[in-house]
Amino acid sequence: MLKRLVFAAAVSSLCLPAIAAPAVGDAAPSFSGKDTMGETVNLSDFAGKTVVLEWSNDGCPYVKKHYGSGNMQKSQEAATAEGVVWLTIISSAEGKQGYVTPEAADKLTAERNAKPSDVILDTDQVIARAYDAKTTPHMFVIDPAGKLVYAGAIDDKPTADPKDVEGAKNLVLAALDDVKNGRPVTTPESEPYGCAVKY
Amino acid sequence: MRTASLLIAALLAFALPAHAGDTVRTDNVEASLVAETPSVTPGSTVTVALRLKIREHWHTYWSYAGDSGEATTIDWELPAGVTAGPLQFPYPNRIEIPPLVNFGYEGTVLHLTDIKVPDSAKPGDTVSLKGDAVWLVCDEVCIPEEGVLTLNLPVSATAAPADAGTAAEFSAARAALPMASPWPASATVNGTAVTFKIAAPELAKAGLTSAVFFPTHGGYIKNAAPQLVETTGGAISITTETGRRFSTPQRAAEIKSIEGVLVTTGSDGLTHAFTFDAPVTASSGPGGEEQLSVWMALVFAFLGGLILNLMPCVFPVLSMKAIALAKDGGNPTAARVGGLAYTAGVILSFLAIAGVLIALRAGGEEVAWGFQLQSPIVVAGLALLFFAIGLNLMGVFEVGGSIQNIGSGLGRGDGATASFLTGVLAAVVAAPCTAPFMAGAVGAAISQPAIIALAIFGALGLGMAVPYLALAFSPALIRLMPRPGTWMVRMKQVLAFPMFASAAWLLWVLVIQAGPNVLALIMAAFIAAAFGLWLWGLAQRGEAGRIARALALISAVPVIAAVSMANPAPQSGAVTEAYSPARLDELLKAGKPIFVNLTAAWCVTCLVNEEVALSGQGLANAFTKGGITYLKGDWTNRDPEITRLLERYGRAGVPLYLFYAAGKTEPIVLPQLLTEGIVIAAISES
Repeated sequence: MLKRLVFAAAVSSLCLPAIAAPAVGDAAPSFSGKDTMGETVNLSDFAGKTVVLEWSNDGCPYVKKHYGSGNMQKSQEAATAEGVVWLTIISSAEGKQGYVTPEAADKLTAERNAKPSDVILDTDQVIARAYDAKTTPHMFVIDPAGKLVYAGAIDDKPTADPKDVEGAKNLVLAALDDVKNGRPVTTPESEPYGCAVKY
Repeated sequence: MRTASLLIAALLAFALPAHAGDTVRTDNVEASLVAETPSVTPGSTVTVALRLKIREHWHTYWSYAGDSGEATTIDWELPAGVTAGPLQFPYPNRIEIPPLVNFGYEGTVLHLTDIKVPDSAKPGDTVSLKGDAVWLVCDEVCIPEEGVLTLNLPVSATAAPADAGTAAEFSAARAALPMASPWPASATVNGTAVTFKIAAPELAKAGLTSAVFFPTHGGYIKNAAPQLVETTGGAISITTETGRRFSTPQRAAEIKSIEGVLVTTGSDGLTHAFTFDAPVTASSGPGGEEQLSVWMALVFAFLGGLILNLMPCVFPVLSMKAIALAKDGGNPTAARVGGLAYTAGVILSFLAIAGVLIALRAGGEEVAWGFQLQSPIVVAGLALLFFAIGLNLMGVFEVGGSIQNIGSGLGRGDGATASFLTGVLAAVVAAPCTAPFMAGAVGAAISQPAIIALAIFGALGLGMAVPYLALAFSPALIRLMPRPGTWMVRMKQVLAFPMFASAAWLLWVLVIQAGPNVLALIMAAFIAAAFGLWLWGLAQRGEAGRIARALALISAVPVIAAVSMANPAPQSGAVTEAYSPARLDELLKAGKPIFVNLTAAWCVTCLVNEEVALSGQGLANAFTKGGITYLKGDWTNRDPEITRLLERYGRAGVPLYLFYAAGKTEPIVLPQLLTEGIVIAAISES
């Protein structure tokens, strides 16, 4: 029984805590973060509202694809016009690519004419870990009951080419539409694409 | 300096064989198209490589990029009649950017494509290939780059061979392409763990130094999770965590198979890559309620029941029963009735145990299979029962009163009631043997809906009864049994010893459960029982009278009293730290590495592991060196907190070994059969 030849090799050796991804359909992990004004933002502040989380990094070509083409701004506008809370989250640590000071973040929002409800600076990646955010952009939709109803990519064309915005299906807006009409989300999950979140 | 490097680059460019196209240099990659042969013939297929020479520390991506990134693509613009096959991807490497992981390439990578030249091509012409290649190249930051690449291939009437350098480069590139696995693969999901098993004796024999699984698509496994590799009995198994697609039972149930690439490196230093599509088989826990897995569970339960007949607790009982049948061979009807009654006894006993178990769990009790053995009274009772059976087999006394039937003893073949009771006895004595050997399977059964759980227990009982049933229904088989004779008496006596051994083992379990003081009590009970049964035997043989019979009955009183006093002793302080969820949380919060061992004194596997793998000096040193806290959870007595931890990892019983690397909140689940090497490897790799 014990004569078997055994070798064991744990392939990876990560020095950071492993992350347990929240499952779509479960309660969205609660969080608390600081926005660019230095104010504390809690997920619980938006109880009863639909919330979109957008992981962002202005240097990432995939983020540039959606901001450069105006796709992200249009999505933000469409969502917030319906009373949806849209939180842009920047998780790069200080010293890492994509880190921005509150002032620089506000400047980016203004320059890009972006329309999020708020921008959260998650420099210690607490929120990113809670949601197992992998890429920029990585999108999450939380319904008014606080349930995670969508996690994944912004659309179904996983490229960095702005030309691919046209003709792509915007999965976040589709999910918001389903939530608004009280339907279960048709595509509750997709493979997120983009640059890695800079943990 | 700069001029010199430019000069070298220029010289290198000239040194390239003529069948390479111009090199496009981006900030991070030098890209070019290279053909395997210097020219092509009409109607032939030539292999062309998209060669990316990537800047040091930067990487491009595999067809599935992992947690982030994007695969390289090429968009061909080809002359009429020329066609291109798909861009092929050699096996990738794991590129770790904690807590994420990417699958891709560093250094130089060749993506091969087969280009088909039409019959209409004329010698002397040139086939001009043009491709718009797009790749994402990253170190910490990611940059999408592209290059429009060209390659002109002269058409010749006769095939020209590849030059040695190019031939070697292409042959290495082909060797790096994953090939279809010639061995079957399966994936078993258990809770949040998935185990891929590839029955590849050739590979297992080659002395693997590493094996890595790469999923072809996202969401099936957690890419960054550690992969625990084992080679057992000619198979390679890789255990890791399931991905988001398994997050709910409904979604998990939709997954029929998992596609991926296995990359192995042998002790010869050679790396091979195999693609396989592993059907997701018997899964328990989330998504495990498929028909198939229930049928599998029934089959396994039946086989498990068959095996139970060979267990030291059961074999003597069954043997005596079979011998009795041989004696009664003349009466086939009685044999059949006896066989059916025995079967009913076994099955009903298993169903009764299962029923109690299900009822307790339905009532919110934290119990699992083997729960009977967590009560010292049951253990003491069973020890006495084994002892008494041993005495019976020794011939000290007979069951049933009739002296005519020496040689049948407790396996008397006379009448349905006796056979039924033998069946009950067989099921009862089988319980201590099932606990360590079948805890996993039976545990999975009781987490199923009640009706399925009962069916599985029924199958277990049927499996156990079937050999005797077959014997009872087949006069031909009975005739194969040796003739009755004095050998039967000897055999009976020999079979007493496994019973005594079982009794001794249970005594030892009892001492651990209830403390050393209980040993005096139980020994007194043993002596009283031996005395009483001896007197009873004398009376049976007519060698003693009524007084002996009365004394025998009276001696049952101290036996029962002693057993009922076998209460658990309070937990004594262990050398290792005792497991508690609070202590585990505290250590996890502090980011300390932790080894958790969940065990029970009645679990043979646990004890073997502790002896073989967990008590060596090497491991003690490794624990000290790594600052690892060793938490031990003792499930010998019932403990809901341990039951909960077991259930979290899809186990219904011990053993369970977990290793939490420093700073990690999710552990590596170690195999149930351990060696010191496995534990040390798991620790040092983390």
